[in-house]
Amino acid sequence: MSHPVILYEPEKSMLEFTPKEVGRYLGYGNNAIPDNELQLINRGIEQVREIMTGKACYSKFPVSFLSGDKIQLPYGIVKSKHLTRNLIGCSEIYIFAATIGTEFDRLLQRTRVRSLAEAVTIQACGAAAVEGVCNSLNETLRLEMQKEGRALRPRYSPGFGDYTLDNQKGIFALIEPARTIGLTLMDSLTMAPEKSVTAIIGIEE
Amino acid sequence: MNIIDRAYNDFTFFDGGCGTILQAAGLQPGELPETWNINHAQVIRKLHHDYLLAGVNILKTNTFGANSLKFQDKSGDYTLENIIEKAIENARTAILSAQAGEDLEGKLLRSNQVELVANTHFVALDIGPLGKLLKPLGDLDFEDAVEIFADTVRAGVKAGADLILIETMNDIYEAKAAILAAKENAPGIPVFLTTAYDASSKLLTGADPKTVVAVAEGLGVDALGVNCSLGPEEMFGIVDQLAKYASVPLIVNPNAGLPRTEKGTTIFDVTPDIFAKAMMTIASKGGRILGGCCGTTPAHIGAMIQAVKQLKPTPIVKKEHTLISSYTHTVELGLKPILIGERINPTGKSKFKQALRDHNMDYILQEGLTQQEKGADVLDVNVGLPEIDEVAMMEDVVTQLQAVTDLPLQIDTTNEAAMEHALRRYNGKAMVNSVNGKEEVMRVVFPLVKKYGGLVVALTIDENGIPATAEGRMAIVEKIYSRAAEYGIDKKNIIIDPLAMSISAEPNSAKTTLTTLRLIKERYAGRTSLGVSNISFGLPGRDYINSSFFVMAMQNGLDAAIMNPNSTEMMKAYYTYCALTTKDENCGAYIEYATALAAARPVTANATATKTTASVMGTKTDLLKDISDESKRPLVEAITKGLKERAALLTGELIEQMEALEIIDGALIPALDIVGKGFEEKRFFLPQLLMSADAAKGAFDVIRDRMLAKGETQTKKGKLILATVKGDIHDIGKNIVKVLLENYGYEVLDLGKDVEPEKIIETAIKEQIALVGLSALMTTTVPAMEETIKLLREKVPGCKVVVGGAVLTQEYADMIGADKYAKDAMETVRYAETIFEAAHK
Repeated sequence: MSHPVILYEPEKSMLEFTPKEVGRYLGYGNNAIPDNELQLINRGIEQVREIMTGKACYSKFPVSFLSGDKIQLPYGIVKSKHLTRNLIGCSEIYIFAATIGTEFDRLLQRTRVRSLAEAVTIQACGAAAVEGVCNSLNETLRLEMQKEGRALRPRYSPGFGDYTLDNQKGIFALIEPARTIGLTLMDSLTMAPEKSVTAIIGIEE
Repeated sequence: MNIIDRAYNDFTFFDGGCGTILQAAGLQPGELPETWNINHAQVIRKLHHDYLLAGVNILKTNTFGANSLKFQDKSGDYTLENIIEKAIENARTAILSAQAGEDLEGKLLRSNQVELVANTHFVALDIGPLGKLLKPLGDLDFEDAVEIFADTVRAGVKAGADLILIETMNDIYEAKAAILAAKENAPGIPVFLTTAYDASSKLLTGADPKTVVAVAEGLGVDALGVNCSLGPEEMFGIVDQLAKYASVPLIVNPNAGLPRTEKGTTIFDVTPDIFAKAMMTIASKGGRILGGCCGTTPAHIGAMIQAVKQLKPTPIVKKEHTLISSYTHTVELGLKPILIGERINPTGKSKFKQALRDHNMDYILQEGLTQQEKGADVLDVNVGLPEIDEVAMMEDVVTQLQAVTDLPLQIDTTNEAAMEHALRRYNGKAMVNSVNGKEEVMRVVFPLVKKYGGLVVALTIDENGIPATAEGRMAIVEKIYSRAAEYGIDKKNIIIDPLAMSISAEPNSAKTTLTTLRLIKERYAGRTSLGVSNISFGLPGRDYINSSFFVMAMQNGLDAAIMNPNSTEMMKAYYTYCALTTKDENCGAYIEYATALAAARPVTANATATKTTASVMGTKTDLLKDISDESKRPLVEAITKGLKERAALLTGELIEQMEALEIIDGALIPALDIVGKGFEEKRFFLPQLLMSADAAKGAFDVIRDRMLAKGETQTKKGKLILATVKGDIHDIGKNIVKVLLENYGYEVLDLGKDVEPEKIIETAIKEQIALVGLSALMTTTVPAMEETIKLLREKVPGCKVVVGGAVLTQEYADMIGADKYAKDAMETVRYAETIFEAAHK
């Protein structure tokens, strides 16, 4: 029997997203963030924390490798050198989807009407927030696999390297994240709600 | 007996899980379960038959995902129509065998089994969500969603479904589309709705149970409830909420708990016994139509039926709550007075009129957000202006407002088409402003309110005008209530406005209105509303009269006021009234309001602007080294630091001393250049650049207002188009470019996001545009950009094209034939400068 799609809802307090991380999305790099901009970021973090509903769903599948950088994924055969390099040696994978919910999209639109500076900051906070959800899930799965003496590879998302965005279609048909976490795929292959992630995590023996 | 009679008479039982059982029978991940109606028909029939033996009344067809998005074949076995036909046939076949006392092979059933199937049976066409988010959050248009559901409904009707079950909906907007499709394409067939809540008792898009009841009952569903996602015990709180507000039978179809894996197998924790026990509690809470969802089996359902059958069903009681809602939350009238913000209305507002003519949506949205900040509970939306297309504008404003605010809206129009379009598109249960006692108006408005749901404001005026006496107005109230009832609209969904007329013209006016208010409460316990400020028309200091009248009206039973939340006097009256009448627990809202009011003493220009010098503010003065004129340095500094209010204040002072142009050229542009250069050199970052842009915009607004007042206009450096290309709904980047270009003196025709190439071409030709800026975030929308450029080259030769956006690179830009790739907003400004300066020379 196949594995069910499991819902994962991290406690908000478990999610780490700091001004420094948000600053990275805003292009500060290692530069110090000036006071008034730091205030803006802190306010953004507070607002995003307030309205976000971080959720993820995932399932476990077998994976195998064919010649010529082809991988047998649960939704079909995919040719990708980069993903092969990431997964080779694994017999199973997790596929997950994560989002911080629709209220973020509304907050962003609301803020945009008032101030673009606040809007880009909120945007960066949202990016950091969904990363936080992914990290939290990742850690949970890592601990689970550790019990079986197995380890996880770094997560890998469609759109990176030669693992094309087109793979979103297969992932969405497979785990149907709309049902569990309300995440949908648009015809343009962007996701709605806006701050969302899908990825594959290899499980190595 | 039909299903509705049955549901009102006794417990009625749905079957249980399907997907989990099919998976156990070999359904593969990603395989469409609906195809099993054809290629594994025996498995599906057996599943139905097993549930019939457990004693159920309603079978859900195996059509959860049967929609024209997933099944696009027009011929062959797997057309949408065929799948639905076979699904219903499978259910009917199972029912026929069971009722004949046989199993599917024709063998006779045992006597205890025969007893269990001696029942009335119904086939429910099962409709699940489409897996897409509707616009404006996603890319599926509301009307397209209605049409997709309609395809499924029509096929189900043709194949003879007894009822339609719309289930597992996690977005109330999508549920609305499905209900409308059912009502419009299956007249006379009962429609049931169940939605899926998360652990916080909300739908994934935010609606709570009360909101679901408000919207679904407004649309006329025959039964409603909850399914999936949670086990029965986790649903207790949701069932309580639904039972409190719903007037129709309650459906409860829980999961057998949450799925988890143990040693590679899927486990649902809730056993048949636990399930049955929990369902007894749910029945006692008011659950009337009971069954199961994921993880439940014939064993669960059988145990539940045996247990619940021993109980007496709780009576179904009609509720009197007057509810309006947005997509997430509900405002209930009658608990405390409701404030309906009146500012989205062009009457007497020249700026608002201009915004409507210019389609300046941000201005209108800002009016909405400001009222929300000031404490409005509902926003009135009136966008009627003779020279604009009110139908399109109303639809657009309602949609866009709902993308930024969660307040319920009041659709305010006399245009029938605008009212219908807005009510149809509205995400929630709206207020409607208004109907009155005139036959021709009731004939138009009541059918719309009945179809789409709504709380309609009814004015006490009819063919003979406004009666001068309270009794005269009460006669119209009586007429309105009874005519509404003929249309099937309950009194609780009518809110009477007994009309406030100016006391300067009619001295008795206030007394008459207040008496009518009181009589409506005494005789009908009806809901009431007033446009409060009419009372003072023609008098000085109108706020004083308005606020006192407001208090008197609330004292006489006013439930809602259409008013200006920006008026301090009105808000004072509201908060004090609530505090004095135990409508404000511990005076909490009053204390918060009064404290904030005291803290927000008006700031005078002199106090803050002139006394602060650059060095006090700690600016790196070398930034300002090129600003020789001391009088302009504070403004330049305020802008570089992104201090919007201060920049506006200082501009207000400067404009008393010098010409607008001198401020622009001597302070605003140099300030923008300082920050722009810092950004290009990576000394400043995006938030700083935008804070400065916001501050400069604040300064420009002051200058523009002053020039407008003097009848002058600002000359623009050039006119250009900005658009996010078709298929792309991300527009923050484009908006950044727009603000910077405007600050640098360019007129920007912002065509918005997801823009058709044709619209860009059309505008470019009409407005004789020399430069078009296109933005795209995704690789998938770059082809749309290429198509737009190709068309531009063809139809508007000579027009330059600058492109930008997260995904673009110089290579991409070259490939698709753009004139310029701009890596950020500043580079676009620099490019515009070269284009338009060249043109001037």
